Amino acid sequence: MTTYADVRPEQRTPFARYRHSLWLLTQRDLRVRYSTSLLGYFWSILDPLVMAGIYWFVFTQVFHREVGDSPYIIFLLTALLPWMWFNGAVSDSTRAFLRESKLIRSTRIPRTIWVNRLVLSKGIEFLASLPVLALFAVIYHAPLNINAVFFPLAILIQAVLTAGVGLIVAPLVVFFRDLERAVKLVLRFLFYASPIIYATTNLPPHLHFWAAFNPLSGIFSLYRSAFFPEQLDWFTVGVGAAVSVAILIIGMFVFTRTEHAVLKEI
Amino acid sequence: MASPVIALTDVGIRFRRNRRSRRTFKDLFAGRKRRSRPDEFWALRSVSFSVQPGEAIGVVGRNGQGKSTLLKLVTGVVLPDEGTVLVKEGVAPLIEITGGFVDDLSVRDNVYLTAGLHGMTRKQIADRFDDIIEFAEIRDFIDTPYKHLSSGMKVRIAFAVISRLEEPIILVDEVLAVGDKAFREKCYRRIEELLAGGRTLFIVSHNERDLRRFCTRGLYLDKGALVLDGPIDDVLAKYNVEYGVEAR
Repeated sequence: MTTYADVRPEQRTPFARYRHSLWLLTQRDLRVRYSTSLLGYFWSILDPLVMAGIYWFVFTQVFHREVGDSPYIIFLLTALLPWMWFNGAVSDSTRAFLRESKLIRSTRIPRTIWVNRLVLSKGIEFLASLPVLALFAVIYHAPLNINAVFFPLAILIQAVLTAGVGLIVAPLVVFFRDLERAVKLVLRFLFYASPIIYATTNLPPHLHFWAAFNPLSGIFSLYRSAFFPEQLDWFTVGVGAAVSVAILIIGMFVFTRTEHAVLKEI
Repeated sequence: MASPVIALTDVGIRFRRNRRSRRTFKDLFAGRKRRSRPDEFWALRSVSFSVQPGEAIGVVGRNGQGKSTLLKLVTGVVLPDEGTVLVKEGVAPLIEITGGFVDDLSVRDNVYLTAGLHGMTRKQIADRFDDIIEFAEIRDFIDTPYKHLSSGMKVRIAFAVISRLEEPIILVDEVLAVGDKAFREKCYRRIEELLAGGRTLFIVSHNERDLRRFCTRGLYLDKGALVLDGPIDDVLAKYNVEYGVEAR
């Protein structure tokens, strides 16, 4: 008989273990989602497509559009797809602890994984939806320019922001269940308060400065600059990045301070 | 004396008595030390003990005296409000063992998921996969979604996975009460095998026979305090005296 010393789980650094667990749970999320529905992958692109279709119809067929840029569908999708990532991850993080309470009570893994796995799995869905954008770009002959190199930067800032918001929301919902609905409401407000169906430049001039403090403005302007170089505004991006980092720091603070109480509560 | 694998020093943890009582942002963020609210009680307080590698310990006490909380503290799924919990080696917790299983995934995916979350690599799991399935006796259901298994099968596969984790510390929380007699006996043999292999065992049970079978040392918890820490027979004797149960 072998003793446990010979067959123990491989000793790994905490970082490697964290990555391993994070990846396992992310895979699980994606697998569950795609194995239980017939259309699987298409749901994750159908949602933004339908929304983009509605706004495209309203603003180009019904009204005469005075906002955004042409082709409008590309303009919409470059912000709608990342918005879906942010929106999905934040609204799911309201249930991050409640839904997984059994697993959290029986497995010791770093608790931030419960939030970060949502950011990651929604982020992967976002990446998987990019071919749709490429397809429309081809159909509408929208030229891609050199600013496309900023895509990874935009993804990074958005991941920081989304994780930060998730780390704040997830533990607080455990104590204040009302927050779940409040978050949904705030997200709906944020959809219109962020430059998705319009551009920051369409706002009245005195609002430009303040719009920069919505970190999504900077993030979306980075994504958009790949097709519309005039959308790139480094002031907005800089402020957005700073706010995102600040939110992440606040998130980590909130999370560590409430972790004890969360574990007792669930 | 070798260095202990588990050491608890002045550990205390408190819970809210009334789940619905109001909570404010202020007391969430107030320092843990400063906060003392009347509607909270200490589930455990001033608990100190240490465990050497290879010991088998039974935790005894009436319902609600902090036994499960103690195991959770050692597992690391709740954190103490006071004192320190030091656990030097990996833990295989047989607590809420079916908790990590996902209804919609197949048994195979579930085995990889749960063992993976406890730190095993794909290769290590693949090496043990056949053992696990054989132990659980569900070879015909490997690709069945977990939700379609019977409740007995669910527990069997869960036990099979966790008990194959090869971690040096094993925590058992009354899971053995489930399953049919033959499987229960199999679990017992598995635990004995693990003990013979030099593992450290922590077991919570109301079954005296189980406790005497596995354990050499007992911890007696009452009203959140560690009342007695000694040989299992002494601990059981004291427990029986205090709560008027005839020794069998």
